[in-house]
Amino acid sequence: MMQPQIILLREGTDTSQGKAQLISNINACMAVVDTVRTTLGPRGMDKLVHDDKGRVTISNDGATIMKLLEIVHPAAKVLVDISASQDAEVGDGTTTVVILAGELLRECKAFVEEGVHPQAIIRAFRAAGALAVQHVRDASVSIGGKDPAEMRSLLQKCAATSLNSKLVSGERDFFAEMVVDAVSALDVETLDMSLLGTKKVQGGGLRDSFLVDGVAFKKTFSYAGFEMQPKAYENPGILLLNIELELKSEKENAEVRLSDPAQYQEIVDAEWNIIYAKLQACADSGAKIVLSRLAIGDLATQFFADRDIFCAGRVAEEDMRRVAAATGARVQTTVSKLQPAVLGTCAKFEEAQVGAERFNLFTGCPRARTATMVLRGGSEQFIDEAERSLHDAIMIVRRALKNAAVVAGGGAIDMEVSRQLRDHARAIPGKAQLFINAFAKALEVIPRQLCDNSGFDATDVLNKLRQKHALKDGSGRNFGVDVSTGGVVDTYEAFVWEPALVKINAITAATEAACLILSVDETVRNPRSEAPDGQAMAGAMAGRGGGRGRGRGRGMRR
Amino acid sequence: MSLAFDEFGRPFIILREQEKKSRIRGIEAQKANIKAAKAVARILQSSLGPKGMDKMLQSPDGDVCITNDGATILEQMEVENQIGKLLVELSKSQDQEIGDGTTGVVVLAGALLEQAEALLDRGIHPLRVAEGYERACKAAIANLDRIAHSFDFSLDDIEPLVQTCMTTLSSKIVGRHKRDMAEMCVKAVLAVADLKRKDVNLELIKVDGKVGGRLEDAKLVYGLVLDKDMSHPQMPKQIKDARIAILTCPFEPPKPKTKHKVDIDTVEKFEALRETEKQYFLDMVKRCKESGATLVICQWGFDDEANHLLLANDLPAVRWVGGVELELLAMATGARIVPRFSELSADKLGRAATVREMSFGTTKDRMLVIEGCPNSRAVTIFVRGGNKMILDEIKRSLHDALCVARNLVRDNAIVYGGGAAEISCSLAVEAAAEAQAGVEQYAMRAFADALECIPLALAENSGLPPIESLTEVKSRQLREGNPHLGIDCNDAGTNDMKQQNVFETLSGKKQQLFLATQVCKMILKIDDVIQPAAYE
Repeated sequence: MMQPQIILLREGTDTSQGKAQLISNINACMAVVDTVRTTLGPRGMDKLVHDDKGRVTISNDGATIMKLLEIVHPAAKVLVDISASQDAEVGDGTTTVVILAGELLRECKAFVEEGVHPQAIIRAFRAAGALAVQHVRDASVSIGGKDPAEMRSLLQKCAATSLNSKLVSGERDFFAEMVVDAVSALDVETLDMSLLGTKKVQGGGLRDSFLVDGVAFKKTFSYAGFEMQPKAYENPGILLLNIELELKSEKENAEVRLSDPAQYQEIVDAEWNIIYAKLQACADSGAKIVLSRLAIGDLATQFFADRDIFCAGRVAEEDMRRVAAATGARVQTTVSKLQPAVLGTCAKFEEAQVGAERFNLFTGCPRARTATMVLRGGSEQFIDEAERSLHDAIMIVRRALKNAAVVAGGGAIDMEVSRQLRDHARAIPGKAQLFINAFAKALEVIPRQLCDNSGFDATDVLNKLRQKHALKDGSGRNFGVDVSTGGVVDTYEAFVWEPALVKINAITAATEAACLILSVDETVRNPRSEAPDGQAMAGAMAGRGGGRGRGRGRGMRR
Repeated sequence: MSLAFDEFGRPFIILREQEKKSRIRGIEAQKANIKAAKAVARILQSSLGPKGMDKMLQSPDGDVCITNDGATILEQMEVENQIGKLLVELSKSQDQEIGDGTTGVVVLAGALLEQAEALLDRGIHPLRVAEGYERACKAAIANLDRIAHSFDFSLDDIEPLVQTCMTTLSSKIVGRHKRDMAEMCVKAVLAVADLKRKDVNLELIKVDGKVGGRLEDAKLVYGLVLDKDMSHPQMPKQIKDARIAILTCPFEPPKPKTKHKVDIDTVEKFEALRETEKQYFLDMVKRCKESGATLVICQWGFDDEANHLLLANDLPAVRWVGGVELELLAMATGARIVPRFSELSADKLGRAATVREMSFGTTKDRMLVIEGCPNSRAVTIFVRGGNKMILDEIKRSLHDALCVARNLVRDNAIVYGGGAAEISCSLAVEAAAEAQAGVEQYAMRAFADALECIPLALAENSGLPPIESLTEVKSRQLREGNPHLGIDCNDAGTNDMKQQNVFETLSGKKQQLFLATQVCKMILKIDDVIQPAAYE
């Protein structure tokens, strides 16, 4: 006798559950990890990704690639999130965190298949993660409190390590210096990133990039008369406005009714007087440079040209903010009663040619709490990638300034933590010993991947590293992979450093992600919730089609 | 494209629209990319050098463009392949930065990638190749600095500048007339250059043209050529010692910007309105006349009444002059742009020695030439040519030459052309490679080989036996230690480029090497290409 089917969920809902679901989630994550795997390290490769609109990105940055892949698999999305959070939190190590999480999952896959309860693994991983973080802390060396010159060179080394894996690695010392200069220009207390501008100008070599100690922005749209204005000043007064300087109707929808044609002239004059009064107020304030967020019309341009004043309208908001921060000027929303105090100043202003563009440069600002990097390069994609790379480096320097502790890079710290975890595991009775050992083994993926990407024999190098790290006197604890020769080297001595924070955050985030994926044993997908609009329909359909293949969801329902 | 399969062999859906995406990875991706880049470079190879050929390109809407300029060819080709696009951008950035050598940089990048392919086949890691290239590039740049010459020029002695511009122009359609063209370009650049700041704003040089006439009719005008004529046919065609008023207000009663309405309810009022309007015209013309102006340039138009009044008052006028030209005119004549009639005064007028209308052949087209300005900071090069295509190509060629002249004003170092610099660098890089241990040695040697592709292509395009010519010059360079020896493309009987006066700018050459190396690294570094398959 057939039992009537109990329909619990809406038709078409996909449910998969049990161990098989867990395994398939792990498989999906590992597939994603394989995509970014090859980007790790100084010999890591780039990915070229088209999106559906035909835009192309060439990148080495883990977070960027993960984002562009448009992953729809629910479990694999966790990996995208951790790389994005690593990007937001520390800015670098976005590939590391994904690879680490993937490796942790790979290690525990065997256990799950053998029937170990996932919660047991999770508990052990959490403990191991906390221990690992503790070890990284212990191993870190503080670089704070040293004299500025030494501190500077240390920061440069950190930046150079971060740039090592990027397209700009050929000029890493040049850029490391630039990055450190840029970050040191910022206010030490806040390190506000928005005051650090990056401008991209196509053409020129990488080395033609330069740092402006102050603000730089592209020449804005100008009206006739602009070229007659002077293009260079020393110690000018700078007036920032947020109003339109144009001849226009003062009020929308207003209508003037005239009964006598003679009044005509008065109305016209009145309008002109309004704009002239505004312009005169600007000129009277003593400013030599007038910038506005909104348009500065042709009349105003010619008026200023007549009085040897430089003006630029439609300046982007962020540039305006930076000019304000650098020169000490305050943005005005009216020109009446301009106080001298609202004017800013800088040592030198000029309009200069950069590549095919003309740039306005404000340098030698009194409160130079801002800096602008002008990047040059052969193609748009190239500069974009350079910008992303520098962003990573800037974040690293910024982090190092705030939290001045570094560890040896090149996989050295991973090997060291791995060894310590193994030592620790031996002291534990029970199943946890196995899991902590697995965690320790997973950490070794970083040096292994570095070797693989560089085309060396990973097993060979790893054994050398294990031997060094096992030395009783601890002299080998800073040994990592030497990517240029395929041997091992004391990476601390070789100045391959990374901030401890990057590692700590990576280990924590990867452990969290692995635990999260392990703790899921059922996926319920509501078919409708996935397709909020027609465009996402295709993706949702595809997602559901695949979901059916997974687990035993189907069999259970029958 | 599938990343993974589950235990039943069915693919996981991990990416959005996964089955529609295609993906190539690993060495296969690099090979495919290199192939695409080589294909693009091969197209340009035959355009290189003084005997290089032109390409004819037809756009989707039927416009035909004939050109020899690398950047223009690539741009018009509308390359779809992404790697191909990188090369297009490469040539574009050379164009923006230097303005010349846009073909050479692509050919060089193509050659570098071709060499890299051979190295990849040997199993060398792509990044080791790229690193080797970078090192080689540094060695080559150092060598360029060593063999570079700097020369002095002044406003009186422009010969070296002219010679360099001639080298640029020799590969173009204007080649037969390069001497005069080059001189024109140099004079134009020097006229607008700020020698103290070493800054040249090319926007101040206008290149204008008109179909008809001969190439030789081209001329440099210290002032401006406006594609306009006098507003009234009876106005004088020539004005000596003109005083020019530049107006951005129309010759009509002023209008308030605010919405307005004049209520006319009686005949008297209407009469009054008409009278006021008329009075406006009279006033305006009177003001112009009083200021002493003998020519009025107006940004906007004016109606027939004003036109008539101007003629009656013997005040020639030009209407509908664009903002950019207005600005250049103001700079050239030293005039101030006047936004209101009430502000018009004698000191705001500009001066020009002559203003005359120029007519061409049998056509009715007329142009206005404003010459002899006190401040010749704005100049115009006016070219003539048989048809529009030639005219466009001449303009492009002149742009290249202007850029070269500008670069020399900025940095007056030169190297010798005709492949001489490349051969010298090739020798230097080879020597540096010997001293390099490791895989990079191979890459550096490959770089040296790639550099030779420029003289090879030059010789081939000139109809010389490429390998014989190259090896002969190379062995002579090595033997005599003379970095001025290059390929004798013009059949001048000597290989010494110093005697042939074939120069190129140091900055341009350096830029070529930098950019080509950079792009190579970028292409070599890609090992994974993910794209929607429908995108083609």
